[in-house]
Amino acid sequence: MQRRVAIIGVGYTPFRPITPDMSFKEMMFEAAQKAYEDAGVCPRKDIDAFVTCEEDFTHGRSIFNIHTPDNIGAVMKRIHTLPAESLYGLADAFMLINTGLVDVMAVESHSKASNMLTPDYLVAHAMDPVYNKPLGYNPYFIAGMEMNRYLHDSGVTREQCALVSVKNRANALLNPDAAYGDRIAMDDVLESETMFWPLNRLDMSSPADGGIVMVVACEEKARDLCDKPVWVRGVGWCSDAPSLETREWGEAVYARLAGEMAYRVAGVTNPRIEVDFAEVDDTFTYKELQHLEALKLCAPGQAGFMVEEGATQREGAFPVNVSGGSLGVGRLDEATGLQKVLEVVLQLRGEAGPRQLEDVSVGLAQSWRGVPANSGAVAILSNE
Amino acid sequence: MPLDKVTQIGQTKPLHGEIPVYAQYTFGIAGERFFREIKDKGRIMGTKCSKCDLVYVPARIYCEQCFGELTEWLEIPGRGALHSFTISHVDLDGNRLKEPIVVGLVKFDGVYGGVVHRIGGVEPGQVSIGMPVEIVLKPKTRRTGSILDIDCFRPVK
Repeated sequence: MQRRVAIIGVGYTPFRPITPDMSFKEMMFEAAQKAYEDAGVCPRKDIDAFVTCEEDFTHGRSIFNIHTPDNIGAVMKRIHTLPAESLYGLADAFMLINTGLVDVMAVESHSKASNMLTPDYLVAHAMDPVYNKPLGYNPYFIAGMEMNRYLHDSGVTREQCALVSVKNRANALLNPDAAYGDRIAMDDVLESETMFWPLNRLDMSSPADGGIVMVVACEEKARDLCDKPVWVRGVGWCSDAPSLETREWGEAVYARLAGEMAYRVAGVTNPRIEVDFAEVDDTFTYKELQHLEALKLCAPGQAGFMVEEGATQREGAFPVNVSGGSLGVGRLDEATGLQKVLEVVLQLRGEAGPRQLEDVSVGLAQSWRGVPANSGAVAILSNE
Repeated sequence: MPLDKVTQIGQTKPLHGEIPVYAQYTFGIAGERFFREIKDKGRIMGTKCSKCDLVYVPARIYCEQCFGELTEWLEIPGRGALHSFTISHVDLDGNRLKEPIVVGLVKFDGVYGGVVHRIGGVEPGQVSIGMPVEIVLKPKTRRTGSILDIDCFRPVK
């Protein structure tokens, strides 16, 4: 059995640098309430299964995910939890519905990054404890090393990377839910503090809090419940070798292979023509360009020129990160991938307000799990 | 009844917490020998997958390409080239370092992996991708059997 799968409801809290008034459980509750209202479903009656996607230690505790069923209406229901990037949660929902095991499913992820007082240590503890961690360096050196090699191999310049930051922060000014909208110039990025050369402070996204829930359904339920279903046409995911010593440093191999899978599932043969816009991972400026190339959304070696010529602007031929991306919205830990999906859904429904793109029918969302990982997922969505 | 939300910042009082986690990490079959070779003999050893014609550094007992078991060990020359590097200005607490640190991935001729370490003996502005570098070990008496037995890699004079 192969069934079509649609997103029929989305709910989210605004993305903010801090959320002192709400616990993560209350943020989940608010996002879920909104998503179920949007989909017109009751979680206790209508939703068959749930998946939540977060890390333990980002919550300052262990095995925190035993505490996710109650606030999204999943007690005594089928729920599983992923210590993984949230686009993998959407992929899970796609598989469970596509194969006929469940009809309606909720996918949840959130970030409460502001509660973590020692965030860089947390990332450092994710490095290999024998070969890498004893060096004692701030783990984002990995991003600096990757950027340096990517620029070396691709010919992309630091100026072109800086333009990604300018574009995405400006896009975020049209997104009332984005935390880091700003009107900056290329020189502001190039003259911001050097963090991990060639990576500057304004090349890096900053953390934000926020919760996102999506309701996903089979075609029959989607047509029954929803006027504007957004179809999940394909998903893909992949991990490159985890070790720093053997992984690929110039090319985002995980994104290329995840993209190839998603295109195959969706029946997309020429992504540059068939996809209208994309939300790709931009945790760091160079990542957006590296991912566009890996996803074959530009000709090889052309990502830098694309941003330079304005092709990836909101008004350009191929808009990228119209939501503001992680640079403009804020980095949402494992919820980052669902934020990408959220923007694609809003655009395809025609509900993106002042940043609405015209005549879009196919969008791509892509995630990367962040330092020190090199894995990621892709989803192809359509309103037709 | 509508939900009453927190409207005064003074009403928010987070609870502070910490998790003391103490653990030991097993070096493993390959790691034990890899670090013993550095500590006792001052040399880098790799393992070879003949099927894929790949040499792994650090040594490991499995091939990530073909899933084969690796039993053939060989010595790697202590000279390599810088595959990439960064100049880190920030410590783990987010504070600016007094002196920036150059960190790089050193790859060796004919070797699939490499070693991530500090690049020393050179001004940060003089470092470049592809630069030939050589291993600098700590004196034998100060080696403990860890990646820190390597002091750094420095440009080949």
